[in-house]
Amino acid sequence: MTATLNTIDAPARPRLSGSRSRRVNPALLGLSLPAIIWYIGFTLGPLLAMFYISTLKWPGLIAPSSFVGLDNFQRVFADPVFWTAVRNSIIQIGIVLPIMIPVAFMLGYYVSLKPRGHRVLRVILFTPALISLAAKSVVFLSIFAPNGLVNGFLDNIGLGGLAKPWLASTSTALGTVMVVDLWSGIGYTAILFSARLAAIPVEVMEAAELDGAGHWRRMWGIAYPICRDYFGVLAMLQFIWVLFSSAGSILLLTNGGPGNSSTNLSFLVYDKAFTQSELGYSQAVGVVLFFVGIIGMVIIRRVFRARY
Amino acid sequence: MAHSVRQTKRSLRINPIAHGLVWVYAALLIIPLYFLVISAFKPNSAIFTMPFAPPTTWNFDNFVQAWGQVQLGDGLISSALVTVIAEALTVALAIPASYAIARSRGRVGAVVEKFFAAGLLIPGLAALVPTVLLSIAMGLFHTREFLYLFYPASVLPLSVIMLTQFMRTVPPELEESAMMDGASRLRIVVSVYVPIITPGIATVAILNFLSFWNEYLFALILAGPDPDIRTVQVALPSLVSQTNTQYGVLLAGALITMIPVSIVYIILNRRLEDALLQGAVKS
Repeated sequence: MTATLNTIDAPARPRLSGSRSRRVNPALLGLSLPAIIWYIGFTLGPLLAMFYISTLKWPGLIAPSSFVGLDNFQRVFADPVFWTAVRNSIIQIGIVLPIMIPVAFMLGYYVSLKPRGHRVLRVILFTPALISLAAKSVVFLSIFAPNGLVNGFLDNIGLGGLAKPWLASTSTALGTVMVVDLWSGIGYTAILFSARLAAIPVEVMEAAELDGAGHWRRMWGIAYPICRDYFGVLAMLQFIWVLFSSAGSILLLTNGGPGNSSTNLSFLVYDKAFTQSELGYSQAVGVVLFFVGIIGMVIIRRVFRARY
Repeated sequence: MAHSVRQTKRSLRINPIAHGLVWVYAALLIIPLYFLVISAFKPNSAIFTMPFAPPTTWNFDNFVQAWGQVQLGDGLISSALVTVIAEALTVALAIPASYAIARSRGRVGAVVEKFFAAGLLIPGLAALVPTVLLSIAMGLFHTREFLYLFYPASVLPLSVIMLTQFMRTVPPELEESAMMDGASRLRIVVSVYVPIITPGIATVAILNFLSFWNEYLFALILAGPDPDIRTVQVALPSLVSQTNTQYGVLLAGALITMIPVSIVYIILNRRLEDALLQGAVKS
């Protein structure tokens, strides 16, 4: 669409500003300046500052700081808590992504066929995406509480022995967080897939149907290769979310505990800065996270590159 | 007609096991929401002993207690202020910028567009700590004012990129006549472009409404826990420690915080779904 519009309005340009057409129009670009300055000031600037702060010893928001070079990185890499956080982030990504993306794809395929009830199904799939992190966490705190829904249900069907404080047990805290991640993310991802699948020409699917391919074959043999790159895009979104933005959900659900059993990298950045007042350490982890994020995105892109 | 017949024939060929699995999953999505709604009306003891039973009476005690205990009313007002002011500022910044990008033919315009497109890949939470330091340096730590200023920056890339695409659909001939009348660029944006791309602005505004209203971690740290300043998303979790795990009260509070988004979803159903789809695809 963009391309066609450009070709349409290209000839109109000389009439508008004559020979200056190829030169920069200051009045025009001046209009974008406030947005650029705003974005640099509040987002890009702070991001760059993170690299600088990672080289400081800074024991608290209002304490004075001093330059210590790469000391913080040495401390980070020598800290067992950091490696626990690395392990937990890897577990979270390694389990949530491989479940969420294929299940969402299959759900999206189902919705895109418009079977009976698909409108209701769409609303159900959409709803978790509209609920705030705080509300979601409060709901799941109640569900997984010692006297909450899950334990109450187990008790009712005579399996009270299996009941446990799900979010407060070393063995189940991280797993429960991942269940909440999956609950929050699969539906919305499925809707995104269904929109992408709806863009596949009907003829392609019909040809496959005439050749006798069932839904399973059509889904993985035809639909999957066509929207392979979209798998990459959605996997990337989820990857970035877990890696950088999951601190809020960890904070609300488990506060990283018990012990450090559900502390992941995103939460470690938050916790070191605001609970333990070690700003330099926190930002050193932030810098590590930044590079891990870039490497991860490159890998995901490679894996899901379109091959047709 | 032929099309719809084909559709039904295709749907019928879906394996019944697949139907079953999909609806089992749908049930898994619904159970927490069902539990949320019924428990908000039940006393704590009934929540554990009969977790799936609907409330025997529609008792609003939990709502009253949640409202009073953490001043949810003040939280709602704070959230509304933050959302509305940040929305207005975002639109004021993003509209002129997207117009400039859409209408500049030179290399600089392309660079500016790339600049914002690259911003889509930067997760906001990456720079949480330096943002706090910035708010301290500006003398705005633990104030709502900093959220007014900061939230627009966090959504600028997506807003600018989306609005640029809407701006490009406006035929340039329209502005030529206005230009010959001597109208300034800004006048043209406001009087020619804004009326035409109102649906696009609405889409962006809906997306931003969701992210501003629902945001938690920045609101917690930047605006802080003072009941008069904090947003409703920060007020809600403070019920957890204050009520000593009275889940009915907790869930009633959660329902209260969800009212605005629910109303918008009910009114703008299709629109909101489309906005969320477009927003995700762009990023």
